[in-house]
Amino acid sequence: MNMTEHEQGIRILIADDDDTILDCYRKAFGDQEQTDYMKALDSLEAELFEAVEASAAAPRFSVTACSQGREAIDLAARAADEGRPFDVVILDVRMPPGIDGVEAGTQIRKLDPKVEIVFVTGFSDIPRDELERRVPPPLKLHYFNKPLSFMRLAEDVAGMVRQTAA
Amino acid sequence: MAARTVSLSLQQKMFVTLLAITAVLVLLSWFILHRTVAPAFEELELSAAHTNLVRVQRAIHEDLDQLSSVVGDWAPWDDAYAFVQGRYPGFVKSNLDRPTLANLDLDLLVIYDLGRNMLWGQVIRDGVLSDPGALGVFEPGTPVLDRLLSHDTLDSRVEGLLGTALGPMLISSQPIITSSKEGPIAGTMIMAQFFDEERLQAISARTEVAVDWFAAGGASPLEPALQAGIAAAGPESVRYVAGEETVDAYSALNDLAGEPLMILRASTPTDTSALGARAVKGALLSLSVAGVVVALVMWWLLRRIIARPLQHLANHITGIRRSGDLTVRLNDSRRDEIGALAGEFDGLARDLHDARRQLLEQSFKAGKADTAAEVLHNIRNAMTPLINGLDRVSRSFRSAGSLRVRQAIDELGNPECPPERRTKLLEYLASAFGHLQAASEDAQENVDVASRQAHQVEAILTDQERFANVAPVMENLHLDEVVEEAALVLPERDEGRVRLNLQRELGRYRVRAHRVGLSQVLGNLILNAYEAIQRTDSTNGSIEVLADLEQQDDRAMVRVTVRDSGCGFTNDICQRIFQRGFTSKQPSEFAGLGLHWCANSLAAMGGRIRAESTGPGSGASFHVLLPAA
Repeated sequence: MNMTEHEQGIRILIADDDDTILDCYRKAFGDQEQTDYMKALDSLEAELFEAVEASAAAPRFSVTACSQGREAIDLAARAADEGRPFDVVILDVRMPPGIDGVEAGTQIRKLDPKVEIVFVTGFSDIPRDELERRVPPPLKLHYFNKPLSFMRLAEDVAGMVRQTAA
Repeated sequence: MAARTVSLSLQQKMFVTLLAITAVLVLLSWFILHRTVAPAFEELELSAAHTNLVRVQRAIHEDLDQLSSVVGDWAPWDDAYAFVQGRYPGFVKSNLDRPTLANLDLDLLVIYDLGRNMLWGQVIRDGVLSDPGALGVFEPGTPVLDRLLSHDTLDSRVEGLLGTALGPMLISSQPIITSSKEGPIAGTMIMAQFFDEERLQAISARTEVAVDWFAAGGASPLEPALQAGIAAAGPESVRYVAGEETVDAYSALNDLAGEPLMILRASTPTDTSALGARAVKGALLSLSVAGVVVALVMWWLLRRIIARPLQHLANHITGIRRSGDLTVRLNDSRRDEIGALAGEFDGLARDLHDARRQLLEQSFKAGKADTAAEVLHNIRNAMTPLINGLDRVSRSFRSAGSLRVRQAIDELGNPECPPERRTKLLEYLASAFGHLQAASEDAQENVDVASRQAHQVEAILTDQERFANVAPVMENLHLDEVVEEAALVLPERDEGRVRLNLQRELGRYRVRAHRVGLSQVLGNLILNAYEAIQRTDSTNGSIEVLADLEQQDDRAMVRVTVRDSGCGFTNDICQRIFQRGFTSKQPSEFAGLGLHWCANSLAAMGGRIRAESTGPGSGASFHVLLPAA
């Protein structure tokens, strides 16, 4: 398991069997040093040139990553037990040799009915209604096809959490 | 699976079975005839033998009666009466001369008086006169003589057989009384005849029965046990002995004392049993001939009605199994069970043919779908880091571009810039430089990732090319079926506007090709033709599909031509029409599989394609060449 965890921000659990893709996730959701650096630069630029701080409103993410569906279920269960459930769970659909993302999502939904579950897959062979039947409710279920921009996904995830909070 | 060898054909089995049934029938008939008819003939023959024996016995009794009748003429006679009383001494001379005895067919004549004294007696044997004493039975006091001389009544009569030293005799004794048959009894007259060969022949001639006799005791040609058995059984019992040529009936004849004297044998020819045997043989022969004829007729009928149609069906099934061609039909018009079976088999073959075609198509499509899904998945996964890397590079450079480095440098060049702001500006430039440096490093890293992922995509595509080189499954196909299947791509609503003419002789041509691939190629050509017509203003377009044979390099090829009345194309387009990526369609139109793919698919099947058009507006023809099956 390759895991990174931050103490603050939107708590995200990501499961994908491809290390390169997990690295992309981390960069899109969790490059905290770069974010802090950009915030300092933006702050200085705003002070000098009276510009708007572009990164001031950027969300902060706390990312936990793993490569198998079973690990994702265990991590979600542990987080729920500790009273710090994840806000969003992002799951790859195919993660051989273990259980697939849909089965993992089904188990996680039973553990936490409120969590936003996002499926990201390179396959397009699972119909949307099949996913909604197995991992209800539809409002807390999201589906994206690879390839996609994880930075845009990060914005969408932030939007999901904001909408839930509202 | 190896072909199952037939050791004995159905026709041969039927023939052998019918022959076996005929043989069993003949054997059974033989058994029944021998158990019923033959014994009946044998019983008939025994009955005839018995009758013959009885006739002989009756003939002997008739001879005895005849003898007694002669005695009955001579004993009640006054002359004889007077003679035994001593009153007529000349009686012998007057009446008992040799010719008289000969006329009476007598071999013995003896006259006794009441005192049991032989007054006169004479025996003739083989023409020689002898004294009756030579017979050994007329000794005074013998039981036989007592029996012969014992007459209590006037009509007393003693007769029967008598064994003598000269041979057995028929003998009769009666009392001598007056001519008016009054007594008292004055003496006894005894007459006898030898039961010799001459008499036997006479009886045999009279009765028409072959007869002979044997001594009841002593030397005899008969088996001792048979001789003793017959003698002990008495005259009432008859013993039969069946031989090759005769059935012999044996019976004993007792003498006057009731003792067995001789054994009589009446031989009856075995004509009856021979007749029975001939009847049985005739019946068996006719049954055998009838059985063989019936068996042959039944074999011929069964062969014609069952075996040949079944053989035809079996050959048809074997042919289908060997060729794999499920389009061949029996088309049996018989209205019996075999006709129904042939019809059902035709239906089964048709269903199987359809199912196989559907399975092939499904398998082909499913295989392509699975492969496509797998390739898409791998490419999408590989593309994800590539896109995100480029995205980050883009964002980094975009944020770098938005930095106000130029403005900061300009302000620093202004001598009026306050020192505090100058310090801040320098700090900003340092941070911006740091950001640009980090962005550059990040960009380098992300470009490396993108490059790696691009190579991975290329590797995936290379990997897929290996599968693309797998040869498709080739079949012998009826061209008309494939064309009709391909023509299903035409939209039904435009059937009136675009006529599809399929050459009637298409069914005569068979090609060796991959069914689904060829169907898709022809479907593609027909669809292209349809779209080419759509691009014209014509409301009466036509698409023709024709076929003919063409010889190429000593190999028979079938040329399939798809000809349309559509918009046609220029010579320049004709040169490039099979190139990769070439299309004359608008980007919004469905491009289909493409002629490049069609050309490649046909090449994989050992065929090729060429196009021709005399120019825009004059239609086009696509010629597909495929190996003939």
